[in-house]
Amino acid sequence: MKFQIPIGPQHPALKEPISIRLTVEGEVIKDADLRLGYNHRGVEKLAEEKSWIQNIYLCERICGICSHSHATCFVQGAEKLLEIEPPRRGVYLRYLVSELERIHSHLLWLGVAGHEAGFDTFFMYTWRDREVVMDLLEMISGNRVHYAINTLGGVRRDIDETLRGKILEGLAVLKARSEYYFKIGAAEPTFVARLAGVGPLTKQQAMDYCAVGPMARASGIDRDVRKNDPHDFYNEVEFDVATADSCDVLGRTIVRIKELFESYKICEQILQKLPDGPIAVKAPRRAKPGEVVSRYEAPRGENIHYIVANGSDKPERLKVRAPTLANYPATIEILKHGFIADVPLIFAAIDPCICCAERSVELVDARSGEERTLRFSDLRRMANDRARSLSLQRNVAWPL
Amino acid sequence: MAALKTILYLLVYPGFLFLFVYSTFVEWFDRKVYARLQNRMGPTHTGRAGLLQPIADIVKLMAKEDIVPDKADKKVFTALPVVGLAVVLTAGLLLPVWNIDLAAASPISFPGDLIVLLYLLSLPTLVLFLAGWSSTNAFSIIGGTRVLTMLFGYEVPLFLAVLSPAVLAGSWRMAEIAAFYRAHPLLILPNLIGFGIALIAVQAKLERTPFDIPHAETEIVGGTFTEYSGKKLAFFRLMADVELVVAAGLLATVFLGGFGGSVLPAFVQFVLKTLFVVFLLSVLRAVTGRIRVDQVVSLAWKWLAPLAVLQLLIVILIKGFAL
Amino acid sequence: MNDEQKIEKLKTFVSPEAVAHPAPHRIFVTVAPSGLVTLVERMKAELDNWYVITISGVDKGESYEILYHFGDTTGSITVRTQIPKADPRLPSICGPIPGAVLYERELQDMFGIAVDNLPDPRPMLMPDDWPAGNFPLRKDWKFDRPAEVIPGGEK
Repeated sequence: MKFQIPIGPQHPALKEPISIRLTVEGEVIKDADLRLGYNHRGVEKLAEEKSWIQNIYLCERICGICSHSHATCFVQGAEKLLEIEPPRRGVYLRYLVSELERIHSHLLWLGVAGHEAGFDTFFMYTWRDREVVMDLLEMISGNRVHYAINTLGGVRRDIDETLRGKILEGLAVLKARSEYYFKIGAAEPTFVARLAGVGPLTKQQAMDYCAVGPMARASGIDRDVRKNDPHDFYNEVEFDVATADSCDVLGRTIVRIKELFESYKICEQILQKLPDGPIAVKAPRRAKPGEVVSRYEAPRGENIHYIVANGSDKPERLKVRAPTLANYPATIEILKHGFIADVPLIFAAIDPCICCAERSVELVDARSGEERTLRFSDLRRMANDRARSLSLQRNVAWPL
Repeated sequence: MAALKTILYLLVYPGFLFLFVYSTFVEWFDRKVYARLQNRMGPTHTGRAGLLQPIADIVKLMAKEDIVPDKADKKVFTALPVVGLAVVLTAGLLLPVWNIDLAAASPISFPGDLIVLLYLLSLPTLVLFLAGWSSTNAFSIIGGTRVLTMLFGYEVPLFLAVLSPAVLAGSWRMAEIAAFYRAHPLLILPNLIGFGIALIAVQAKLERTPFDIPHAETEIVGGTFTEYSGKKLAFFRLMADVELVVAAGLLATVFLGGFGGSVLPAFVQFVLKTLFVVFLLSVLRAVTGRIRVDQVVSLAWKWLAPLAVLQLLIVILIKGFAL
Repeated sequence: MNDEQKIEKLKTFVSPEAVAHPAPHRIFVTVAPSGLVTLVERMKAELDNWYVITISGVDKGESYEILYHFGDTTGSITVRTQIPKADPRLPSICGPIPGAVLYERELQDMFGIAVDNLPDPRPMLMPDDWPAGNFPLRKDWKFDRPAEVIPGGEK
């Protein structure tokens, strides 16, 4: 018996609205379809109305988890257009926050993966330890989520010797904990049984569907902007690109845990080499006409901002591509050959971060299987009609 | 006097009242152990150390709106929670928690009551399947079929595992099995494999992690319970709690020597032994992640069933040579 | 493959003056819409570890400029093409690269550019009751918020 089940726009496995419609036969998925647009906010259009400095804060709000990555990507490009060079201490601090953010995002993802696999104990432990890095970020920037540390020409806050010591301490704690998680991720039999072999994406498929980030790296492609197309800073520190060739969700987990260790390494090097000097230079208000392509490796994969300047204090065009969008085509392809039980894991394995919007719902009539797309206004009318037709006496009695 | 005793037995101890109060306590214990193993506090606010939290949850659910879906089979949908609770409460009555006269059969202890108890413990599974099916919700139907699929996996190993101590004791009556192991405490040891299998199978029967597949929230929302709300959901939750107590009581009777003596010592033994079993189940729940339904079936038939047969073989050999 | 080698290779695909190299790791290639698919196919065959990052559209007044950003192990190559506003029409590159489908659907939604041979031409981001002919990223499109109606509320 074939029938369709909707995953989303509201579903316990999803933290943001997106709709996947699955056609299933028993437990096996036969077809999958994706619908986007539940959370579209028109950031690109809005950016054309804002000045360069306002756009940093707008970009920061594209994503809640990797807020620093979009802001950094924008600032990297805008600095080229404004023809300013941030001082080295500023650059070091900027990428220190970047790497700490990567740590916090990957720890968050590990917890979510544990929760999706029904392993809540793992979730509780990783999220407890994530507080350590959240506290570090708060000490550096004053905020836990939107750090707002970037500015055109550098960063806004400096760190002192005490804070440097605290960060090193926190990193040592996290390192010890991550080794423990690495052991669990590779050894806990029920967890491994749920992850290994799930969501296979071959190297060729990953290439064809243009997967990015840990998704591509777990399929054996060493695609990492920090190595391929780096900002000058990343040439000054030593790290490796974490890859795995198991091509499944277990591989994506291992890649993320390995990346945690690489990020600890980078953070320690930053703190050792931290140059003295100013943290920011003054930026001009207007940019000369021109265009720039700015790429940045966010925790989820590659970010790209294409910025066009027209000589005014506002960008002519800002094109933003978040890594999650790039991973959708590959995800849909994987979903088509899985079990229902694996959907949350496969979907979580791209670390989805959904940013698009629309106001309509697809309803499937359970008896006839007929599909109707309703507008929001129709739904509201139906809800009101239903409320009116209910008798008022129902369910108002207090049972005790 | 005998009539009063029967009424007390049915309504107070170990009947309805005791099972209700004790099952909420066991739920609190389970939640607290689970929480502490996860580095959380668990229930703290309602009552001393959160002891009243499960009761508060049930009261809250009772007060919630109770919705029956338009397309559901309304009679079945409404009757199932009550049937489920009644079945597990009946099963609770069969536990030999008192000083039972081994010489005479009584309505609560008779040769073969072990089989009846196992049968009564199978019924909630069917109730859950019907609950999922009668909801006519895609998620519920998938949950319902998962319940049945799992049943085919764990039921045979559970029966085989519970069979072996009975074979060794040479009786189908729980009170006699318990008395046998109280007389020969060392013979508990050969049954340890069976105890492990029974623990895993009971975990699956109770649908707790790693076997919480029929209501895996990240996959199929509420599974069998998706359409249930209010009072009906409260009944189902109470059913799960009582089932946990009865299953723990069954394992304690068959594998851990039961509860001997008069009312008070038997009560203390009952509490300690069931809490021990529940503690093991909670630890199992905390250290594992959910597995897939096909993995449950292959685990049950590739590992649990052969091990249970091995256990039976050991028991038969002991019985043949040693006793 | 470094920038110089890539430029040498690209110059064999298109005329040499169409290749620009404004910054390290950044190469821009200008091509006519008709030559787009052939160029993408040749690039895919002869450059390694190669994928489409995104497709951007820019409203240039008289025409739309469409930029295909490609990435490989040593930087990015941007293929630039211009189409007139009067007849906005593009060939799809989903043949050689199936992963480009979402970006092309986004172009359709945001600029009203008709992409030929798109495997999945449904609207991607816009709501189903979005009025036809409204393309938000065109420069002449202005948003006016419709008056909010609260059902049962005061008129």
